[in-house]
Amino acid sequence: MFPLKIRPLAAICLHLWLARAGAEPNPAAPPAPGYAPLIYQPAHAGAYRLQVLGSAADGQVLTSDNQTARLKELMQGKITLLNFIYTSCGDVNGCPLATHVLHKLSLRLAERADLKNQVRFLTLSFSPRYDTPQILKQYAASISPQPVDWRFLTTQSESELQNVLDAYNQPVTPVYDAQGRFTGTYQHLLRVYLIDAERRIRNIYSTDFLHVDTLYNDIVTLAGETPAAPAASAGHADLGYLLRNAQQPPLGLPRLTFPNDNPITAAKIALGRRLFFDRRLSFNQTVSCAICHVPEQGYANNEMATAVGVEGRSVRRNSPTLFNVGQAELLFHDGREHTLEQQAWGPLLAANEMGNPSIGFVLDNINRQPEYRKLFQLAFGKPADMLTLGQALASYQRSLNAAGSPFDLWYFRGQTEAISPEAQRGFALFIGRAGCAACHTIKADHALFSDQQRHNTGIGYRAAMQGNPPPQVTLVPGQAAEISPELWRALNPAKPNDLGYYEISQNPADRWAYKTPTLRNVALTAPYMHDGSIPSLKEVLRFYNQGGAPNENLSPKIKPLGLTETELDYLEAFLLTLTGANVQVLINDAAAAPRGERE
Amino acid sequence: MLQHQNTASRPFRLGSLLILSLLAAAPAVQADETCASPYMAKITGQEDFVYVWTLGAEGVGDEQDKLVTIDVNPKSAQYGKVVHSLSVGGRNEAHHADFTDDRKFLWAGGLDTNKIFVFDVHTDPAHPALLKTITDFSAKSGGVVGPHSFYALPGRMLITGLSNNRDHGGRTATVEYNNNGDYIATYWQPTADNLQGAVKSGQFADGYNYDVRALPRQNLLLTSAFTGWSNYMMDFGKMLADPAAMQRFGNTVVQWDLQTKQPKKIFDVPGAPLEIRCAWNPQHNYCFTSTALTSKIWLVYLDANKAWQAQAVADIGVPSQVPLPVDISISSDDNTLWVNTFMDGKTRAFDISDPFHPHQTYEQKIGAQVNMVSSSWDGKRLYYTSSLLANWDKKGADNEQFFKAYHWDGKELTQQFAIDFTQAKLGRAHQMRFGAYSLYGLNPPK
Repeated sequence: MFPLKIRPLAAICLHLWLARAGAEPNPAAPPAPGYAPLIYQPAHAGAYRLQVLGSAADGQVLTSDNQTARLKELMQGKITLLNFIYTSCGDVNGCPLATHVLHKLSLRLAERADLKNQVRFLTLSFSPRYDTPQILKQYAASISPQPVDWRFLTTQSESELQNVLDAYNQPVTPVYDAQGRFTGTYQHLLRVYLIDAERRIRNIYSTDFLHVDTLYNDIVTLAGETPAAPAASAGHADLGYLLRNAQQPPLGLPRLTFPNDNPITAAKIALGRRLFFDRRLSFNQTVSCAICHVPEQGYANNEMATAVGVEGRSVRRNSPTLFNVGQAELLFHDGREHTLEQQAWGPLLAANEMGNPSIGFVLDNINRQPEYRKLFQLAFGKPADMLTLGQALASYQRSLNAAGSPFDLWYFRGQTEAISPEAQRGFALFIGRAGCAACHTIKADHALFSDQQRHNTGIGYRAAMQGNPPPQVTLVPGQAAEISPELWRALNPAKPNDLGYYEISQNPADRWAYKTPTLRNVALTAPYMHDGSIPSLKEVLRFYNQGGAPNENLSPKIKPLGLTETELDYLEAFLLTLTGANVQVLINDAAAAPRGERE
Repeated sequence: MLQHQNTASRPFRLGSLLILSLLAAAPAVQADETCASPYMAKITGQEDFVYVWTLGAEGVGDEQDKLVTIDVNPKSAQYGKVVHSLSVGGRNEAHHADFTDDRKFLWAGGLDTNKIFVFDVHTDPAHPALLKTITDFSAKSGGVVGPHSFYALPGRMLITGLSNNRDHGGRTATVEYNNNGDYIATYWQPTADNLQGAVKSGQFADGYNYDVRALPRQNLLLTSAFTGWSNYMMDFGKMLADPAAMQRFGNTVVQWDLQTKQPKKIFDVPGAPLEIRCAWNPQHNYCFTSTALTSKIWLVYLDANKAWQAQAVADIGVPSQVPLPVDISISSDDNTLWVNTFMDGKTRAFDISDPFHPHQTYEQKIGAQVNMVSSSWDGKRLYYTSSLLANWDKKGADNEQFFKAYHWDGKELTQQFAIDFTQAKLGRAHQMRFGAYSLYGLNPPK
């Protein structure tokens, strides 16, 4: 409960109000924490680090011996406490508090011979007119005993003082009465600065913070500190590995064919990687390729069904994995692109993805940066242009081959125990009764788990035809709620349609047809299907077991399978053996790659 | 109390101050508008202006974020009018804003672009000026995204992040800057795989962040938990229908050592605890928060063993109907907590005089949607704005965008004036902060 009735208008603080009322400080006004024992257990000295808050500014001052001095000389080599006071200050929670706490601190420090010589107190008056060296000397003499080096300072002029006040962001505002006359009073912030031997500000105390225990612990911490250790690297970037991984893909993958005009090089991979993780490549510098294709999330995105672009704009489809994307003949879910070099421009220019307004805008942004001018010169002998940008990104993506999985060891190397008996039964179903391999193909010497064709599974049909009912919303694990139809209309008036490859070919036979995705690393890339509408592998298997979602364009390869739950378990066990042995290497490389950020 | 003053002619009395040290002293009472940092300078009387950090909206006016200044002093000829509007360029997902401890500068963040706009509000409180724009928040902080709450400490600002530049998920940190706008440090939220010495008291240690508040007398700093960029930028309907996205909300409140910025304890507070409001009375060692998804008021309190605990103490509306509590505001006497619920557009007063048993005493519909509420120190004036997030606001006719001023007599809210932010071609009205000439020793122009 606030103890006083505060009048409207200009009641800036309790003390100011009191002054206007012509009152002495109210004895009932609670003194600051610095007058009492701490009511909490502070952290142990040395068990924490004091951050560097800025450098302590210099300034010319006058000592109580009437000698000019520089603050930087007074601070040099000492742990310094600097504060600002008026000697005439009567506000118990203002200047007297600072003097009181510093005095208690000096007595505490006196017990530590090793510390007290490292410490100096500097108390600077911000009233040069009244606080002459002689007054300061008297003030200092009133504090007894004074076992540490405590200097009382003033300035020769208001302008000298102002320079120091400005440097320490120490505002002092004269107070005027209703007639605009100066009242002789000021308002200001109480701040005490802890400054290390290298003249860096390490803490700033206000009335609430200022306490002898805190100051003492901070000084002990500063006196005993060692230089901060450099931050540990999140991973290990390895360009040589990426180049080898592109040139000689791991077990289970075929060799890549590189375009004649874009042979793979380390310089292109390095450049492509930098571009891939650079958020400055989007219109408002917020979205990189890696924001939707997250390395730690299978180069897909586990945290949403369909992607989100600049300004949060909705994308209709799920972010596909980029592991092994160099092997794909169809790009985008509808397969509307065929080369990674061309594909790169799709997301860059899509209004709801990276949102760039033009090709020129993208290239100008890149070529403006010296770092990229150098890297493009190294990789291509010329600046970024429409061709080389795609070539660089394609080169990095072709290095993301992820195989050598337990399945590969079992199937191509004959290591009979590389996968479990359950997974082996799942494989038998996969190529047999379940019919999965009809689309997710496996060849004698390699397996892409994709026929590189488009099919209608009914997922797209179902979404287009079922409308947009209010969902059941999972609020927290185990707690769901219904959204009323009225509220749903206000929140979600329209959901964009998605007709699959028909949107490109305009052939009704292609309605809701999407490409067959690879199943390599599928354990890492939930949620599933082109719209992320199925959260788990088991549910995907159940969907196919029931024959997909029937519609007139349903692929003839999809039909009810009649598999038991146990057989679905076997299939799932098999799918879990498709995670590449080198996935973590690629993730570590990505983690260590530099992120492009707005400066 | 930060500010103090004195007459220059009064003789010093050191003896009296030393005697004071013998007193058994209670900690200082802080006076302020009811939700601001206790370190900050204050307006305890009539505020002159409300600064509204406003999101640009496509198709509305100049479509960019702006700081809108509204005259709210009934004695002013401009009362109830927009007196200034300062466009800053771009749609940055303008969200929260707050002052430095000297209250000379207003820092306003963009959750999308990570820009921080620093406005000078002291030179001419009626006409804030853009002093500088911090554009490298993410680069400097080591990848923190979404500068959210700005909280004044002496000479510096604590800024909570909501996300990160690796995956735009919820793993994030609190970042410290000095008042000059120089980066100081990043404090990552504790997670299950890196507790940083904190005690995980329940099942969650998720690394999310949202709001930050302190009880300096207890050396207490609290942070709450929301969600990452992927969700807060996502279309609201799309997100609600996406089970993968709905799993990505924070369920924790973290207790930190205010002095050392070390995490001490992680509390389970399921369902996205958002705003934190701490009691003002020095004997009241507790803070409130409310959970957006589970619609509960939670109390974080110091128990008899001097350990901090968290406990759900009340439902807000009918939680199964997802009223979505958003902003909350505590009264300066610690007796009332205003709680806005976005979905039904209502403001609700809870009696919190018994903090363990809050109960609703009043409700009124403010609009089709409502987000922020700001109260004057005396509790007699309440201001409301409409926008939650650009892509979470309602669509169509329900997308009302407004600033509304009310008087509260303890029984009824009475609207004084309203400004339609769409009609005025301003945008989506979000955070409100108060300005006053008196803070800077200025008098209103005649």
